[in-house]
Amino acid sequence: MTETAEQVAENTVEEIDLGPANKVIDKYIDMSGNLMPVLQGIQEEYGYIPEETVHLTAERLNVYPSQIYGVLTFYAQFHLEPRGKYIIRVCMGTACHVKGAGRIGDTIKERLGIGHAETTEDLLFTAEYVACIGACGMAPVIMVNDATYGSITVQKTDEVIKKYKAMG
Amino acid sequence: MVNLTIDGKQVTVSKTATIYEAAKEAGIYIPVLCYAKKLLPYGACRVCLVEVEQMKGRLIPSCTTPVTEGMVVTTMSDEIRKVRKTVMEFLLVNHVLDCPVCDKGGECDLQDLSYEYEVVSNRFEGEKFDLPKDEINPLIERNMNRCVLCGKCVRVCDEVVGYGSYSFINRGFETKIATAFDRGLNCEFCGQCVSMCPVGAILPRPFKFKARPWQLKEIDSVCGYCGNGCTITLGTKDNEVQTIRFNDKTGVNDGNLCIRGRFGYSYVNSDQKLTKPLVRRDGQLVETSWEGAMQAVTDGFNSAGDSVGIISGARLTNEELFLLKNYGKALGTENLDHSGGECYKGVTEGLKETLGIQASTGTFPQVENCDAILSIRSDFYETHPVFGMVVNQSVRRNEGKLTVIADKLGKFTKLPNARTLLHKPGLELNLLNAISAVLIEEGLAKTEGVEGLDALKDALKDYSADAVAAATGVDAEAIKQTARELAAAENAAILLAYGLPYTAYSKELGIAAANLSLLTGIAGRQGSGLYLCGEKANSQGAIDLGILPGANGLGAQQMLTDAAGGKLKALYMVGEDPVVSYPDRSLVEQALENTFLVVQDMFLTETAKKADVVLPAVSFAEKNGTFTNAERRIQKVRKGIQSKGEAKTDFAILQQLLKAAGKDVPVDEAAAFAALAAATPGYEGVSLEMVGPQGYVWGGDILKPETANLIPVAGGKAVDSKYQLLTGSALYHSGTVSTKAKGPSAVVAEAYIEVCREDAAELGLEEGDLLKLKAEGGELKAKVKVDRRLPKGVFFAPYHFSDMELNRVYSGQPVIAVEPVK
Ligand code: SF4
Ligand code: SF4
Ligand code: SF4
Ligand code: FES
Ligand code: FES
Repeated sequence: MTETAEQVAENTVEEIDLGPANKVIDKYIDMSGNLMPVLQGIQEEYGYIPEETVHLTAERLNVYPSQIYGVLTFYAQFHLEPRGKYIIRVCMGTACHVKGAGRIGDTIKERLGIGHAETTEDLLFTAEYVACIGACGMAPVIMVNDATYGSITVQKTDEVIKKYKAMG
Repeated sequence: MVNLTIDGKQVTVSKTATIYEAAKEAGIYIPVLCYAKKLLPYGACRVCLVEVEQMKGRLIPSCTTPVTEGMVVTTMSDEIRKVRKTVMEFLLVNHVLDCPVCDKGGECDLQDLSYEYEVVSNRFEGEKFDLPKDEINPLIERNMNRCVLCGKCVRVCDEVVGYGSYSFINRGFETKIATAFDRGLNCEFCGQCVSMCPVGAILPRPFKFKARPWQLKEIDSVCGYCGNGCTITLGTKDNEVQTIRFNDKTGVNDGNLCIRGRFGYSYVNSDQKLTKPLVRRDGQLVETSWEGAMQAVTDGFNSAGDSVGIISGARLTNEELFLLKNYGKALGTENLDHSGGECYKGVTEGLKETLGIQASTGTFPQVENCDAILSIRSDFYETHPVFGMVVNQSVRRNEGKLTVIADKLGKFTKLPNARTLLHKPGLELNLLNAISAVLIEEGLAKTEGVEGLDALKDALKDYSADAVAAATGVDAEAIKQTARELAAAENAAILLAYGLPYTAYSKELGIAAANLSLLTGIAGRQGSGLYLCGEKANSQGAIDLGILPGANGLGAQQMLTDAAGGKLKALYMVGEDPVVSYPDRSLVEQALENTFLVVQDMFLTETAKKADVVLPAVSFAEKNGTFTNAERRIQKVRKGIQSKGEAKTDFAILQQLLKAAGKDVPVDEAAAFAALAAATPGYEGVSLEMVGPQGYVWGGDILKPETANLIPVAGGKAVDSKYQLLTGSALYHSGTVSTKAKGPSAVVAEAYIEVCREDAAELGLEEGDLLKLKAEGGELKAKVKVDRRLPKGVFFAPYHFSDMELNRVYSGQPVIAVEPVK
């Protein structure tokens, strides 16, 4: 029974290639305090932390899966779901909020169907509402991956979305 | 020792004590919430804050702060009261406070502390938790809306159980206790987290709405399942066992239990239990009176003369076994045996011929401080789960080195730094021989006063680490390291569990383990020990009392063979279900068919169905007496409920049979204990008064070997078959009785065949598919369980379940060669 539900759950999980995860673990296996770097490395490889890699890490580093899950949910940097190619960060800091960040969030939701921490089905976009990103001068602000778009409006948001959609 | 003052009282305690422990010892009360005696200091809840004169300016958590010389502690002041009250207010902000329907009501620390600190209103306001309950698993209800985040469940499951179900997840208000991926609980279901939770966040589901805690009557008894002999406190009401209560004050288990002890009690209340004697008339079993049944038994045995065999289970009390033995004498037969007659030979013959004793040499608590532990078979953890927790704690807290000789992985092999000697099935002996060979070869062996060294040396020539490594698939260096560690350890333990599904090589394994215990010097050394642990609650008692074939008597297997061949006329089966649990079902069936058969049991078992007379017996919860556990601890079994119907204790039934045979009988269990103590080696001079809350260990903490004979044993032979089937015990069950208990059956309801992932993929099998295995003697069919712990080509099937008819293909061989059939 112990393994059964785990197993059932795993079987429903998409098959993934554990090769890259094993390589990451190989690299850190003899280091003490290796859990964080291993998880970061895995996220780098897959773009998120697939469940199967959690079980693999648990087995190879001899920690409980529950502990790893604790770490993954404690730090905002880890993602348990696949993420979009483009991460749209919508600043919800005070300055942006005052200048209508809420409307920008709503626009993205309307156009792409994704709210905070959600990803489009085609894995192109992930939306994230974040606190002040330090560009209050151009509030409201959104970022798409590393590019910043200041003084953004509903119309400009549409343009930005269109641009990245076109890039595919 | 350290001297300090607490609330003006002079206190002297050990220097490792905390302030809380010192206060407790002095009878001074400090409230705690996240503290637990059996867990490492944690200090999260801040309920236990005190003032220390030497640390002015802040309040000190008493549960984590060690005492120092001259410390002056105050446990109550206005400020302390204020802070504690504030802590309570904070805890109550998000708490649902559904006490009226919470089963913890009346023994909830949060409730009690709120009351104590008169938290009638709350200065803070906040969102109430609104989390879904864990309704998926059958045994443990988790309602995280009631959780106070003390972390005890997380810690106990890690520190004591070694399973690690829980973790804190998320942060801030979202912080909660969850399993990996926040799913329903799916674990060993030992219930340690239930017993640790100070509030109603983790509760035993079968007990829901059964009783308020103060309505329960509590009776301390001993678990009726395995040889660990855990104390279980029956919580009874309306003449039923409603639940098992937490009790860390009595016995050897420190309040820890396994699923069987904690959740396996329902069979004692079962309405499936026999309530009337049955006799066979015109081929049918029909109800009869006790007089009628007794007459039938007496007539049957009389006409068999001395051609009678008696086979007993190992869950009868010592007192009952004593009467049974006398009854054998009264019938004039020496054909007396228990537990299949084979599996215990490691103790009765193996240890006897080497060490001159027939029991484990040490006690369980000593294992917690061992630096090196060798566990023979990973199944040890499954047969004796709570002993497994002792090993876990030894490994985790004291960094004890654990080596597991195993044919499959398991919890032991996953413990931190455990070394697994994963071998081809059936070759445990070869590895034990190899370890002995290394000890001798490297000059590490303690050989003073030991007999038979030359012969052993000679015999071990073929078992060099390299040769055995090649034959078993184990790394030679790992074998050598194991030998070196065992030799170097100040305290070491060797563990071997035995039981019905482990009959192969039983004597030889006992000898090989004993050889090793002599060569390492651990047999009889303080703090160390050789542990041969019996499967059932009173396996050791059965050996002590001599429920064994007499000099001219037949053992269980021979009785069955003779009975099948018409050479034995009558069989008396007491608390044993050989049709299901003994090797070679066809032989057993034929034996039962051909004899006058009396079965004494709680249920109409497969064996009872074939009887001529069935005598209804009762469970451990309905009787008084004693069990002797696998470390020779004699403990009291106490009656918690009255038997229903006309069923009687085995004791009462045997009293009646003895009387019918014209013999004197002890008037009650106490008288029987006095008589058996006088007649049983090791029990001389033991009285029931000496059997206190911690029981009484006959022979003392260390049982000294009487001889030191090394005896060579040949190794096993690997089976040449692509697919091999192993059998054994499953963690959730014990013998066949647990299959009649709702708790264990809710988790593992039916037989299964465990298959590793590679084999499953190769054979195109998925979880739950039906797998048919062909073997010599028959076929086997069960659902597949895909697992990670088996090597490729090896299957595993537990032996507890009747339907599977495993013993059609299992006849006591170490490994069963099988062929999957499409
Ligand atoms: S029941 Fe036992 S194994 Fe399961 S979570 Fe609780 S402590 Fe851990
Ligand atoms: S569930 Fe119980 S034991 Fe676990 S953290 Fe919450 S209150 Fe403590
Ligand atoms: S079955 Fe064994 S380990 Fe489990 S509670 Fe009973 S005595 Fe303890
Ligand atoms: S608040 Fe949005 S950038 Fe500072
Ligand atoms: S009991 Fe001491 S901090 Fe919780």
